[in-house]
Amino acid sequence: MIHIDDLEFHYREGEFRLRMREFSVTGAEKVAVIGPSGSGKTTLLNLIAGIITPLSGHVSVSEVRVSGLSDSERRDFRISNIGFVFQDFELLDYLNVLDNILHPYRITGALKLDREVRARAESLAREMGIGDKLKRAANDLSHGEKQRAAICRALLPRPSLILADEATGNLDPVNKIRILDLLFRNVEDQDATLLAVTHDHELLERFDRVVDFQDFRDEGAG
Amino acid sequence: MIDSLYIAWKYLGFNKMRTATLVACITLISFLPASLQLLLDESERQLMSRAVVTPLVIGAKGSSLDLVMNTLYFGDEVPERISMEAADRVWDTGLALSIPAYVRFQARGHPIVGTSLDYFDFRGLVVADGRMLAVLGECVLGARAAEGLGLGPGDGLVSSPETLFDLAGIYPLKMRVVGVLQKSHTPDDLAVFVDLKTAWVIQGLGHGHEDVTRIKDPTLILERTEANVAASAKLFHFTEITEKNLESFHFHGDLSSYPITAVIAVPKDAKSGTILRGRYLSKEEPCQIVRPEDVIDALLQSIFRIKNVLDAVISVVALATVLALILVFALSLRLRQREIQTIFKLGCSRMTIARLIAAEISIIVLLSGLLCGAMIFLVNHFSNDLVRMLFIR
Amino acid sequence: MKSEKTSPFGTGIFLCSVVCVLATLSCPPPGAQAEDPDSSLITIYTVNYPLKYFAQRIAGEQAGVVFPAPADEDPAFWSPGPDTIGAFQKADLILLNGAGYAKWVEKASLPRSKVLDTSAEFKDRYIKVAGAVTHSHGAGGEHAHEGVAFTTWLDFDLAAKQAGAIGNALSQMRPDLLDEFQRNFAMLARDLKDIDKSIRKIVSKNPSQPLIGSHPVYDYFSSRYGLNMKSVHWEPGETPSNEQWAELKGILSNHQAKWMIWEGKPMQASVDKLKSAGIGSLVFDPCGNAPDQGDFLSAMRQNVENLKAAFP
Repeated sequence: MIHIDDLEFHYREGEFRLRMREFSVTGAEKVAVIGPSGSGKTTLLNLIAGIITPLSGHVSVSEVRVSGLSDSERRDFRISNIGFVFQDFELLDYLNVLDNILHPYRITGALKLDREVRARAESLAREMGIGDKLKRAANDLSHGEKQRAAICRALLPRPSLILADEATGNLDPVNKIRILDLLFRNVEDQDATLLAVTHDHELLERFDRVVDFQDFRDEGAG
Repeated sequence: MIDSLYIAWKYLGFNKMRTATLVACITLISFLPASLQLLLDESERQLMSRAVVTPLVIGAKGSSLDLVMNTLYFGDEVPERISMEAADRVWDTGLALSIPAYVRFQARGHPIVGTSLDYFDFRGLVVADGRMLAVLGECVLGARAAEGLGLGPGDGLVSSPETLFDLAGIYPLKMRVVGVLQKSHTPDDLAVFVDLKTAWVIQGLGHGHEDVTRIKDPTLILERTEANVAASAKLFHFTEITEKNLESFHFHGDLSSYPITAVIAVPKDAKSGTILRGRYLSKEEPCQIVRPEDVIDALLQSIFRIKNVLDAVISVVALATVLALILVFALSLRLRQREIQTIFKLGCSRMTIARLIAAEISIIVLLSGLLCGAMIFLVNHFSNDLVRMLFIR
Repeated sequence: MKSEKTSPFGTGIFLCSVVCVLATLSCPPPGAQAEDPDSSLITIYTVNYPLKYFAQRIAGEQAGVVFPAPADEDPAFWSPGPDTIGAFQKADLILLNGAGYAKWVEKASLPRSKVLDTSAEFKDRYIKVAGAVTHSHGAGGEHAHEGVAFTTWLDFDLAAKQAGAIGNALSQMRPDLLDEFQRNFAMLARDLKDIDKSIRKIVSKNPSQPLIGSHPVYDYFSSRYGLNMKSVHWEPGETPSNEQWAELKGILSNHQAKWMIWEGKPMQASVDKLKSAGIGSLVFDPCGNAPDQGDFLSAMRQNVENLKAAFP
């Protein structure tokens, strides 16, 4: 599913550099990535999603060399194939829950919003336990409900890859487990691959594989 | 595009205060010059159309603007009075139709115009309901005066006292409404028309009372001789002219010395007009003769000069407002940086982000346009009254 | 395929229909008035009969002259209703006598552009009525004007001037008819002058003869012809009261009149009583209103005849 080869990246500003020799995730695998703060885990997710491109090396997702695509191609690929779940949920407070879930369909021409999609969104929301809150403002939800809504948004396009960046970081212990269970169940239902960056060591045993990011970085990288 | 508009609409609706403020700013900055222009155009139309059809006005020397505004538009500023002799003088020249006007009093906020029947023919005023003035004490209402007062033929209308507490001043006279004029879309619609003599009765120059030569009560008589009876101030004067007491109404002294505010002179032809104007050139002449068209033209020139200054000021304010709006948007984008990054991460292109911003601006501009349009519609609808309020009364 | 032949009957029906449609179109719409042949007539309203007569003589067929006062009312004191005043307002020319005649005019609204005061030219010759009591308000107040005689037409010289004013006004309104108006006025003026001459001739026989007028309407008549006349306030249709007889007696004590001039046919009882007092009665109808028979000229000619009795 994901394959990274001889990747080198650094930001224009600052001294951070990232070098990775090889990194792979197979399809339908649930992988957790751990590592110290500032080590580049989020940068890794951004490189896989095609938000940023490496200076050298390759990043492939589902056999597609994402690093070699143009901006618009990477965008279209991202929105159709990759779902993002953020630590701070990143819901838009001026949209209600349903509109937030449907949001990706409104900001790109690559996804078509129709009745079937709406029905699926409502169904997904019901599965996540927020079916009765679709018309509520996003700000009215609890943290756990917000993250469920974010997961719905990520899952709605049926992506083959879910990238979760500290998805449970802002949740209480009970909700962490609950959310992770929901995420895992839907990932499994869709036969999707999950790559989650996390600091929550209590949750690691639930993943298929746990990767220490330091093991894949070249020594000497900033 | 629909989706962009939808998201933009939601964003704007969520931030109501900000949206309302932006809409209000754009609306005001668009509305001000447009409405000002509208009002000025309407004032020019109203003032000029009336002035052009009134050839000459004669009145006391002094402010020609006050004279014209009072005579043509029944403005509140009452010019110094001249006497009826001025109207007779014009008549006697044979050069023009002489129409006296006495616009001084009011009835429930509407100007009372004392004049002759020739005024109605001159202005093309036609009775829509009831009939024309026939005898002393009657009045005919302009169409809007009748609507505003809720009066029609057969009703009564009392003239307003000039001052409330002047015991020796002008007493109200109850007039009989006998007709309502057709709407003419001129200041005549708001006026109460009476015969000139009725206006003099309102002033107290004419009155009715019992026959003093037959009064027995000695307290009502100051002095009695063979040729004349002098009545005391105790003698009651009728405050309403009815069929029964009409005969008793009379005037003391010479009517040619009675006051009017102006004479509208309608010359027979251009040559007569010129000759007539020439007769008022002397420095000793107590009256002035003016062409309302010239007076109004001068007024409009002044107004337009002021308007030019206002336009310049509004332009500067508009520029400042636009700059402020740009700043607001720029700051707003900065505040929404995180949101933009999120949707960018989700797969939104920069073009789409620009479209979203453009949709917000479009909706704000559209709302402002609609609001501005509605306000301009209202101003246009009430422009007649607004012009009267702002420029005439 | 339709036959191209049409039957004669069908053709006839068609032609009749066309004729009917054309006839209908040429008819005026319902409610439309037939063109008024008199629509170019000048409409003149007058406040008394003499002015009506003068206007009719001068304008002839060119005017419709209306004198709306009822036949049994004295026009000097008659008050028209609003409808009649409205009719006055709509006239092309409104003829006033002036000198305060028809008090209603002072309180009515009439368009000045259409009003002609026929005696305006000789305002300075108005006669003040002796013995009228005016009134004022306060010690130094202005007097109300009362007491001007108004039967100006009984001075036939002034009557001609009034007629002249009418002629001028008509000529200004219709300059195209100037010749006709001038011609007609000349004939009227001649008739009035004849009456004037006749009266002068009659009165010259005894100009200082004391006379009594039954009503104070002969001021201009007296003034023009130099008559020695005093007046009472008697009505032809009423027998005088005792107070009225006493008033007459008082006048007669230093004004030994032998004739009373009545404005209308007096009651026989009044005539008889006057006769017993040595006073004869003759009628000189001022004709403020239309005479029962004849017209103004015939009535004046009759008046002249009647006058002869007092100046044998």
